[in-house]
Amino acid sequence: MRHVSDGVLRRLQEEPYSVPDTAGRHLETCGRCRASSAQIAEDAALASRVLATPPDPDGIDAAWARLQSQLEPAPGARRPFVRVPHFPRPLVNIPAATGVGIAAVLVAAGVAGAATLTTVFSPTKVATVQLNAGDLRAVSNVLGLGTGPGGLSNGSGSQQLRFGTLRWSSSGQPGRVASVAQAETQTQLTLTSPARLPAGVGTRTTVFVQPQARATISFRNSIAAPVGGTSLAVTAGPAVMVAYGGQLTGTSVPTLGILTMRRPVAASTGATTSQLENYLLGQPGIPADLVRQLRLVGNLGSVLPIPVPPGATSTHLRIGGSPAVLLSTASGAASAVIWESQDGTVHAVAGLLDSSDILNVAHQIG
Amino acid sequence: MEAKVMTSAAAQPPGTTGAAFERFFREHYPAVVRIARGVTGDEATAQDVAQDVFIAALGRFPDPWAAQHAAAWVRVAAAHAGLNAIRGERRRGHRQVLSGIDVPPAGPEEAALDSERRAEVRQALRRLPRRSATVLVLRHSGLSYAEVAAAMNVNVGHVGTMLRRAESALRKELNDATRI
Repeated sequence: MRHVSDGVLRRLQEEPYSVPDTAGRHLETCGRCRASSAQIAEDAALASRVLATPPDPDGIDAAWARLQSQLEPAPGARRPFVRVPHFPRPLVNIPAATGVGIAAVLVAAGVAGAATLTTVFSPTKVATVQLNAGDLRAVSNVLGLGTGPGGLSNGSGSQQLRFGTLRWSSSGQPGRVASVAQAETQTQLTLTSPARLPAGVGTRTTVFVQPQARATISFRNSIAAPVGGTSLAVTAGPAVMVAYGGQLTGTSVPTLGILTMRRPVAASTGATTSQLENYLLGQPGIPADLVRQLRLVGNLGSVLPIPVPPGATSTHLRIGGSPAVLLSTASGAASAVIWESQDGTVHAVAGLLDSSDILNVAHQIG
Repeated sequence: MEAKVMTSAAAQPPGTTGAAFERFFREHYPAVVRIARGVTGDEATAQDVAQDVFIAALGRFPDPWAAQHAAAWVRVAAAHAGLNAIRGERRRGHRQVLSGIDVPPAGPEEAALDSERRAEVRQALRRLPRRSATVLVLRHSGLSYAEVAAAMNVNVGHVGTMLRRAESALRKELNDATRI
């Protein structure tokens, strides 16, 4: 009999009943074919070893839900992403803090941003500022935002402030995308997924993209110089939020969220950082303790203030060599870490996990 | 069969054919994500690939049970989309190689070795002819010879030959990588 072909020898390894008996009988007596068969078996074992895949993940339901969400507009898809950038909802838990909180962050970032005249500025590190609900209400009142859910809840719009006009717009519609790769394409951000997730986190459920957003405060001409008549433009994003884990009952809070965003930048048409800082912090009604904290931050032109909600503790540490702030609830049930990497990307990892798990994920990214 | 997966926003939403497509999805999703994981070595990327594959499949086969080759198509598409993903990974160059979600390594040294090995395997798959890489991942993701044949539209008797050549080529690529 002719020697057995390599293809048949290969199939003989795994499906012996699918090849003619004569092939098996030949193999028993042919040294050459046995040698070939040994080499084939060795190569097959190597391929099997290096291409081995783990058992199927549990999660077809989640995968199906994800597919559906990509094919149908998500109910909350139009909600601006800037509402949840710096800290996780469960950790913040500040009443009526939606638009107000964002306005406060924008103002703080705006102050930080106006380092020099008309020069776009990028903060290079993060620092904490303790904020409670009273602080936010006070800031809201000073700004003239009120306590309602208004603020930046639409893709673009404007609102009268006590000392000027706030206008905001987004370069596109925020919403869910099909994959991390698609988010990278849309935002030009480099997204790094953690190789290992903490136990119990679950699989990735949502990838949400917020296009770049811009907010401009135009100060009234009636305000005294040097601030009056100037504008402060803050550009934030684009940003991507990747959520992991199932939805908790009654809430829409994922177990883990990873935010990646371009650092906010700002430009002023006429006022310096210190002039804006002095004007805004000098407004009657701004809590004295908040003013003191912001003063202690030092050069606001190079610092991104991170609001710390009541009851949370903050720790300063480093992620990937960059200064970072770790926030944790007293119970340890939720944590968040925020840092800005050296390439100018702001990262936040937050979730219903203890700080060691959050830091584990952050170190994989940083 | 050459399957190029493209995510289309215009894909038909699950409505009229939703129930049939959901049944198809639930039946074939495990195989698709397994194939993608075999290529990419990363669970999250594999799930992304699987999503893309099924979105593309929905546009192509609104009623997949009526389409003779839908099951085979999603498998080959998963292999090709996975290969596209790791080729994109190479183009991105410095981007971190994702791996290891399934098997947490014991320590930093093991992690480094594990990651290095996985990177070598993906590099080897990138260098192989697409047809060879495809037959490798399809077979080693658990498809039978008959299923591989159906997926690749070849005679079942030819699968052993294709597989043998592909495994031999993979070994040579891995040996070359080790020598380097």
